[in-house]
Amino acid sequence: MEQTYAQALWKMVEGGMSPVKAVHALRDLLKLRGREALLPRIGRAFARIAQREGKRTGVTLSVAREKDERAAKSAVKTVLEEIGVEPKEVNVLVDDSLIGGWRLEGRETLVDASHKNELQKLYNRVTGAVSSIN
Amino acid sequence: MDATTVEKIVKEIENIAPSHEGAHVGKVVAVGDGVVAIDGLSKAVMSEIVVFEEGKGKKLKDSMETQGELYGLILNLEEDGVRASILGETSRVSEGMTVKSTGRILSVPASEEMLGRVVNALGEPADGKGPFKKTTMMPVERQAAGVIDRKGVSVPLQTGIKAIDAMIPIGRGQRELIIGDRGTGKTTVAIDTILNQKNEPKDKRPICIYVAIGQKESKTARIAQQLREQGAMEYTIIVDAPASTPAALQYLAPFSGVAIGEYFMDQGKDVLIIYDDLSKQATAYRQLSLLLRRPPGREAYPGDIFYLHSRLLERACRLEKGGSITALPIIETQEGDVSGYIPTNVISITDGQMFLIADLFNKGIRPAIDVGISVSRVGSAAQTKAMKGVAGGIKLELAQFRDLEAFMQFASDLDKETADRIESGRRMVEVLKQKNGAPIAVEKQVAILYVAGHKFFAEVPVNKVTAVEAQFTQFLDAQYAKTLAEIKKTGQLSDELKKTLNIAMNEFQLAHKELFTQK
Repeated sequence: MEQTYAQALWKMVEGGMSPVKAVHALRDLLKLRGREALLPRIGRAFARIAQREGKRTGVTLSVAREKDERAAKSAVKTVLEEIGVEPKEVNVLVDDSLIGGWRLEGRETLVDASHKNELQKLYNRVTGAVSSIN
Repeated sequence: MDATTVEKIVKEIENIAPSHEGAHVGKVVAVGDGVVAIDGLSKAVMSEIVVFEEGKGKKLKDSMETQGELYGLILNLEEDGVRASILGETSRVSEGMTVKSTGRILSVPASEEMLGRVVNALGEPADGKGPFKKTTMMPVERQAAGVIDRKGVSVPLQTGIKAIDAMIPIGRGQRELIIGDRGTGKTTVAIDTILNQKNEPKDKRPICIYVAIGQKESKTARIAQQLREQGAMEYTIIVDAPASTPAALQYLAPFSGVAIGEYFMDQGKDVLIIYDDLSKQATAYRQLSLLLRRPPGREAYPGDIFYLHSRLLERACRLEKGGSITALPIIETQEGDVSGYIPTNVISITDGQMFLIADLFNKGIRPAIDVGISVSRVGSAAQTKAMKGVAGGIKLELAQFRDLEAFMQFASDLDKETADRIESGRRMVEVLKQKNGAPIAVEKQVAILYVAGHKFFAEVPVNKVTAVEAQFTQFLDAQYAKTLAEIKKTGQLSDELKKTLNIAMNEFQLAHKELFTQK
């Protein structure tokens, strides 16, 4: 129940309604229906939606070493343009398991140009560890 | 490491070009009972295959140790994400895992190499005999052939079981349901049908596919062994989704089986597919649907349970351009109740059904087919003239016998005609009895039913009919092989052949007078 109310609140604010007005409108509605007790749970559900949406819109660039950051950033320029993200919005993460190269993830897009990925693919091809449905 | 492997690796490294292709992804937000909720994947389509990225954050060595890729099948498209079933071990999926879209609708590999093999519901080898070298991918969900592409059923599919071939004949392209309680011999009928295809000439022999759904692995292993021992595995493929596999695979197995069958049908070949059994598939689909939070309907089955079976069985057909799929679905009933939800659904979809009755089974009448309520709606059009000629009156005779048998329990005095009918019925029941794993070629069936219809067994004690029949069959094999071959070749019982069979009858009776002792 609280999930639906939180979703509605999120859509109201996204639709351009001021946050205060939206919350007041929701409170009035809950009062009318005798469901004011739901408010704290709606708040928590709203926070979860915000967190999820943040993850969905956030973009992470992973590199194997700190010194690879500059090269990786210039390599992902075109990709960022394609998905409509400004370079400054990108979070950079160091992940030494990548071995080399970079990996960009966010906005339902994944570009994996890491050495680990290439080596894994190579391993699968050589050993025939690729499923027949692939 | 040998030189070939080294060479292969070097060549592959040389071919590596940095990949910059973006994949469409989502994240696992919840996982449980074989079903995952995925956030994202807004461009995903129904029945699309997704890959779970297990290697993220792991060292290369660790990610290489995972047992192949883990796939999921998208089954629900929702407002803020998708729900998919995991086609493998649920324990390998964790919250936050990246899920990649593949853009492919679920397909299974199919090839001639699969003959004689046991594969899983995804078409992967499950018998440890190594991978298939060359395969063609066949879509698991495919629209059934339309009216224009179809042809009427007119070619018989011999089961090798006298009671079926004579009274409930099956044609190539037909869908005939085998229904009955547990332990009444449903699987035996299906397996005997596969075994009997050995009697068909190689060019006309159908490819057999046995789909085991939710069965015990020991049972499937036993069936594979039996088929192998009797030389039937060379034209058979077993698709195995045992009880230990996830519900998603049990639900998929029949569709994978028919997809493999379509590969052969498209080449103009005949295929026989057995779904053992669709009750278990319905149960697996119910489990999956409830976990996917689809609204439950009658007996908690989802609303599209009828469509699940109808779209599967509609793919059985005979094509105008050649090739056919004959389906023998199996349904297990509870306490003989054929009015259950799933049994009535499948009865209405199929072109006939054979009921196996526990009472008959317990009386020793095997196959325990109740011919009174079993029907074949299109198969009689496919019966050979010879079989039609000898089997015409059997069903009526048996029905009358059953009525009289029931009446006899109350009446003490019987007129001669009634007593004769009962005696004749008893002998016909004995003639139709058959051991499991011993299908009989159609020409022998014709000969046996012909002589049975000409009072050949009238003077044989009822308990010895089966033995005399076996002896007579051996006699025909040894002395009248040409006659049998002629019946097989022409599919007809000409006056000349009838005369020869009459002579054979007399010869046998004279040679074995001791067997014909009872009036």
